[in-house]
Amino acid sequence: MRRVAAVDAGAAGLGLFVGQKATDAAALAPELITAEAELAADAAALGALADWCARFSPAVAMDPPDGLILDITGVAHLWGGEAAMIRDLVRRLAMNGLGVRAGLADTAGAAWALSHFAPDRSIAAPGETAAHLAPLPVAALRLAAAEAAQLARLGLATIGDLAALPRRQVGHRFGAEVVRRLDQALGAAPEALAFRRPPSPWFARAAFAEPISIPEDLARASGDIAAVLCARLEAAGRGGRRFDLAFHGLDGAARRLTIGLALPGRDPAAIARLFAPILETVDPGFGIEVVTLAAREVEVLAPRQRNLPSSPSLRGQSGQEDIAPLIDRLANRLGEKAVWRADAFPSHAPERAVKRRPPLAAAGAGKKGWRLERPRPLRLFRRPELIEVMAPVPDDPPIFFRWRGLAHRVRRAEGPERLAQEWWRRPFDTADPMKARDYYRVEDEAGARFWLFRDGLYDPQRPPKWWLHGLFG
Amino acid sequence: MTYAELQTTTNFSFLTGASHPGEMVLAAKALGMAAIGIADRNTLAGVVRAWAKGREIGLKVLAGARLDFADATPSVLCYPVDREAWGRLTRLLTLGQRRAVKGECHLTGPDLIAHGEGQLILVVPPARLDEAFAAELEGLARAFPGRAWLIASRAYGARDVKRVHDLDRLARRHGTPLVATNDALYHGPERRALQDILTCVREKCAIADAGLALEANAERRLKSPAEMARLFARWPEAVARTFEIAGRIGFDLGELKYEYPDEPVPPGKTAMGHLADLAWAGAAWRWPAGLPDKVTRLLRHELALIEELAYPNYFLTVHDIVRWARDQGILCQGRGSAANSVVCFCLGVTAVDPTEPDHDMLFARFISKERDEPPDIDVDFEHERREEVIQYVYGRYGRQRAAICATVIHYRPRSAIRDVGKALGLTEDVTAALAGTVWGGWGDGLPDDHIRQAGLDPENPEIRRAVALATELLGFPRHLSQHVGGFVLTRRRLDETVPIGNAAMADRTFIEWDKDDIDALGLMKVDILALGMLTAIKKAMDQIGVADMAEIPREDPAVYEMLSAADSVGVFQVESRAQMSMLPRMKPARFYDLVIEVAIVRPGPIQGDMVHPYLRRREKLEPVSFPAPAPEHGPADELKSVLGKTLGVPLFQEQAMRLAIEAAKFTPEEANGLRRSMATFRHNGDVGVYGRKFEEGMVARGYDPEFARRCFHQIEGFGSYGFPESHAISFAKLVYVSAWIKRWRPEVFCAAMLNSQPMGFYQPAQLVRDAREHGVEVRPVDVMASDWDSTLEGPAVRLGLRQVSGFKEAEARRLIEARAAGAACLRQIAARAALSPQGLELLAEADALRGLGLDRRQGLWAVKGLAPEAKARVEAPLLALMGPPAETPVPLPAMALGAHVAEDYRTAGLSLKAHPCIFFRTLLTDLGAVKAARLKEMKNGARVCVGGLVLIRQRPGTAKGVVFATLEDETGVANAVIWADVFQANRRTVMASRFLVVHGRLQKAGEVIHVVAQRFTDLTPRLADLRHSDAPPRLQRSRDFH
Repeated sequence: MRRVAAVDAGAAGLGLFVGQKATDAAALAPELITAEAELAADAAALGALADWCARFSPAVAMDPPDGLILDITGVAHLWGGEAAMIRDLVRRLAMNGLGVRAGLADTAGAAWALSHFAPDRSIAAPGETAAHLAPLPVAALRLAAAEAAQLARLGLATIGDLAALPRRQVGHRFGAEVVRRLDQALGAAPEALAFRRPPSPWFARAAFAEPISIPEDLARASGDIAAVLCARLEAAGRGGRRFDLAFHGLDGAARRLTIGLALPGRDPAAIARLFAPILETVDPGFGIEVVTLAAREVEVLAPRQRNLPSSPSLRGQSGQEDIAPLIDRLANRLGEKAVWRADAFPSHAPERAVKRRPPLAAAGAGKKGWRLERPRPLRLFRRPELIEVMAPVPDDPPIFFRWRGLAHRVRRAEGPERLAQEWWRRPFDTADPMKARDYYRVEDEAGARFWLFRDGLYDPQRPPKWWLHGLFG
Repeated sequence: MTYAELQTTTNFSFLTGASHPGEMVLAAKALGMAAIGIADRNTLAGVVRAWAKGREIGLKVLAGARLDFADATPSVLCYPVDREAWGRLTRLLTLGQRRAVKGECHLTGPDLIAHGEGQLILVVPPARLDEAFAAELEGLARAFPGRAWLIASRAYGARDVKRVHDLDRLARRHGTPLVATNDALYHGPERRALQDILTCVREKCAIADAGLALEANAERRLKSPAEMARLFARWPEAVARTFEIAGRIGFDLGELKYEYPDEPVPPGKTAMGHLADLAWAGAAWRWPAGLPDKVTRLLRHELALIEELAYPNYFLTVHDIVRWARDQGILCQGRGSAANSVVCFCLGVTAVDPTEPDHDMLFARFISKERDEPPDIDVDFEHERREEVIQYVYGRYGRQRAAICATVIHYRPRSAIRDVGKALGLTEDVTAALAGTVWGGWGDGLPDDHIRQAGLDPENPEIRRAVALATELLGFPRHLSQHVGGFVLTRRRLDETVPIGNAAMADRTFIEWDKDDIDALGLMKVDILALGMLTAIKKAMDQIGVADMAEIPREDPAVYEMLSAADSVGVFQVESRAQMSMLPRMKPARFYDLVIEVAIVRPGPIQGDMVHPYLRRREKLEPVSFPAPAPEHGPADELKSVLGKTLGVPLFQEQAMRLAIEAAKFTPEEANGLRRSMATFRHNGDVGVYGRKFEEGMVARGYDPEFARRCFHQIEGFGSYGFPESHAISFAKLVYVSAWIKRWRPEVFCAAMLNSQPMGFYQPAQLVRDAREHGVEVRPVDVMASDWDSTLEGPAVRLGLRQVSGFKEAEARRLIEARAAGAACLRQIAARAALSPQGLELLAEADALRGLGLDRRQGLWAVKGLAPEAKARVEAPLLALMGPPAETPVPLPAMALGAHVAEDYRTAGLSLKAHPCIFFRTLLTDLGAVKAARLKEMKNGARVCVGGLVLIRQRPGTAKGVVFATLEDETGVANAVIWADVFQANRRTVMASRFLVVHGRLQKAGEVIHVVAQRFTDLTPRLADLRHSDAPPRLQRSRDFH
């Protein structure tokens, strides 16, 4: 069952709501535009927002799915008071296109209640929490929906109604959780918040007392800074796939170099080696005063013992590591697109039966795509070439053909292999699922083998067209 | 040139074959084949359809199966040569299917050999012809000497010829001669695209990712003998052998006929003699004052016919089931072609006296020699007790001789477009939009305006491709399911006639054939169906003290008066909106009027535009006349005997069939074909063929072409919901009986209906409201007074605990026991009945604790306080003995009446305290809305506005997009008609609103009142205000509140 995870104002205006069945929503609003909910991306975005909020307070806690709790003890005066601070916070978030509701109180629970159920930007002055909470519905206590509804049915609609009852009787009937939430909101019970720390970026910086400019110094500087960043990566059990090196000159311009790795890495020597051939493109100008190195596409990389020859029994696994440096050097020199491997792709259409894949990618599902009973030429032409053919009708193999002006007499032949159109790739109006090519594998008198095909089935009304599509070894 | 294709896969190999069995047979005939073999994957589900088609067009159809094995045994096509071998094949498949979960079959090579006598096997070679295969082939050759062949096919692969050559060598080596097939997956190459789609559905992938799972070309189709000869030019004997093999198979499915179970007969008597004794004894019971001559005559005639056609065992079987049910006190009623006979009335199978005026249904008409089909009786049982009957049948005949039929679940528009869309890689929102914006099914097509409604462009090529393929897929079988109650009974082991497989439900099995297959073969079947109304009638009759429906006084004018006034809430069949608007025009005055009433509001008569002519004639607005042929073609009144009872307008299925015979001069065989085509094989395009023949036949004889066209439209309507007179008569009896109970004992009717839920058209709220409007006092659910069922307290109805939604019957039983044992306060009841905290809360929230002096809020507070005690009783019994600590009473605010009503609806679906609309009357008046009860005082065509809770929304398929909505306010119900354009403009409001104000014009026709909607005000959001509404201006029963 697919359900609505979020609605915008327009959809809400049409009566759609979170939790509604997707099909019901579509029936109510046929013009509805939907997108898949990306819960992980939402959580990441909330985390990014929490980090951004660090400019308001060092203590930011996440309240998923859509809330942040800021402890602003002792910082409000920097903005000239709590009201001014909230104003500034909300204004800045709104500038980023975010709809925000805020509330401020002595406790996290009360602030939550105000932000969700009181007028926007309500502030409960110190000591006035209980009075502000009293008129709010019990749901403002962060209770389960069923409990909040049942309390309301008992006539205990507001927090004030609930707070007025004997605590023991309430706890007896509704459990400790309701009482705890009430106490947390009123400050009678503590609430532990998990404050978030922004992760340090994978970035290193070195400044030189005297500007440097000769190539050996640039090489040494890049090696040193790589060592600094790689040490940090190693300590964190991580490696990068891409490294950006920047030389900041006295003229204020930055000279940027980038290298990529086929496997995540953090070996400073290897990284320096990959930078070395391109350092000569750097024009130091009046001299370089700062060098920075950033690691990108950082992934977890288990610590590994280095400088030991890989044992033969592990060769299968380590084979990739052996070849990886070579591929890195080829790719960094020739361009990333120039190094690839061919992989079988499961398709009956010969043109699509081969796919280019990254050199170290695992052999894809196409592995079983090479089949003996369906011989394919070693060299498949990008475009088939028109040929003249003599063949018995309707579908016997050719006995003679002329290609690039040369005549070939067929000595042996196999086929036809009938491959029909991939009709779903054609526009509906021109698709013809019955249209097919007949392929033949033929050998001429010189022993050369060719892959020919007739386009379309035999039709006495229309002379057939023949093509040569590839050569066997 | 002779050739028979022996390797075919129809669409009964689900998601593999892409042609109907009938299409295969037709194509084989057209290509000039000598015969065709049908061999689906581990199933015989499609063979009867193919066989029936072959019988029709004159082509030999060989019934077999392709057996795929779980071990290393290669697949084989298995064709039994005679009846006994057929029985072995069905037992083999039964064995495999019973071992596996539903829809699968688990067989091994040794199973095949054990059931191999009399089977011809054609071995399907695997992709790789290795040593292992050679060894298996050798084994099979030894086990089936002279009866095993090796298959070679040419699918236009790269190395076809080499492969056939290799196969030929293998075949020679092992003495399994090569036989040519084309391994057809469809009848013609145009099905390639659909077959690709089926592959994607099967492999659960989009077509762009399906790759090599798809076939490379369109060659796996039926090919002509000449083409096969060309492809196998080097192996001509492989082609000739197909014909030889077909010639060796002597078995024909027609041999499965006439295997009635023997019924136990007292010693010294024949089955026929026994049936006659039972019938005459029954007649004496039905007519204690002596048999009228007419009965004697009819009974003799029927018995003679039954003897001549050798059906006594059939009637004895039905009688036995019905007699057993009666002994158990289970109410039942038969219907169907043979049910409206004097024999069935005497045997107690029906309660309809067939000798009454107007039901001169000639028994002979339905059991006729021409029809050459077994009689048909469906028996409806109380829905709550049908399972007992089914268990009896199993117990009596054993699982070996009784089983339930299959129902073939076909692709419907929704499922077709969803599967096709997914296979084509359309995004889910597009597929969902195409599939999801309609209510229910829409017949058999995907009309453009539905696509446009879904917000999509029907001209878009991708959409057109999806719709084209989905349309092609419509009607394909998707899987088999268990029929609701169609039992097949045989004399010999049933699994020697048809394979029996597991159902999804544990301990249930069903055969592979559906009712149409059973009909086509002429096997015996009895439908054991469930009917909610019988449950209600039985409960009511028990209350009144009546044992048989035939005892209810007949032809009571008060009952007809009530029905003529459309006062029919809850009455069987005639309670729907459409029926209610028909009743005042029909003004039924005798039993046969009810028969027509039941049949007339159906797709058939509506689609054939027969309803209004009938009504006009009935209201004497137009003369009764009979369509007539040109004088040279026959007498002018040739249709009078067919259409006389229905004033010259065909309304029943039987009449449509008789029209085909009398007016269009169909042979009985053709009429039968027509009947079958409209019910069954209607996806094969046969209906169109018959349609032309029907219309041309009538027009050629001088009938009005317009009348002929309408008659055929009606026949098509019957196809989607056939309604024969023979069923209408039995249903009319239930209409009459339920109406009689409602008229004379409304309190009994109300309680019986409530106790039989879920059933019928109306919710408990409407049933209770209707009872109260008829002066019945209805009392609320109360822990101190209510049973599980609703009960009678003198002339009043006490609602039962079953009305509290979510409350469990077992808890109710314990509660009633505890109460009987003297428990008199909440704590005692909770403890002695061991009520769960949830159960107690449900009772409190349903305001059912008033008998203990606790209102809803006090009750809930009290039971919430008990919950920890119940836990403590279990965990620390000694401490619990000391009782709970004293509590200071907590003052809870009084609940507003509106909130009470809202809570009543939430917890029990109805409120006796007030109607929700009372609280909004001021608002409704401000909006200009009048009370529903006042509509009848207003003039036709007046501007009007009415508001209320939305009870029912309907969009009948026959009504061209019109939506009907029923609103209810505190004074009654109002019916709104929403034309298609108004609906489209207000779609969201109409579909989603629960509290609606309709502005429009009043349309009055006699006592039928509609508001033709023009615009709407949706008050649904205001329903939340109910919880804060204090006492309304007037209370219905103020003493219920503080």
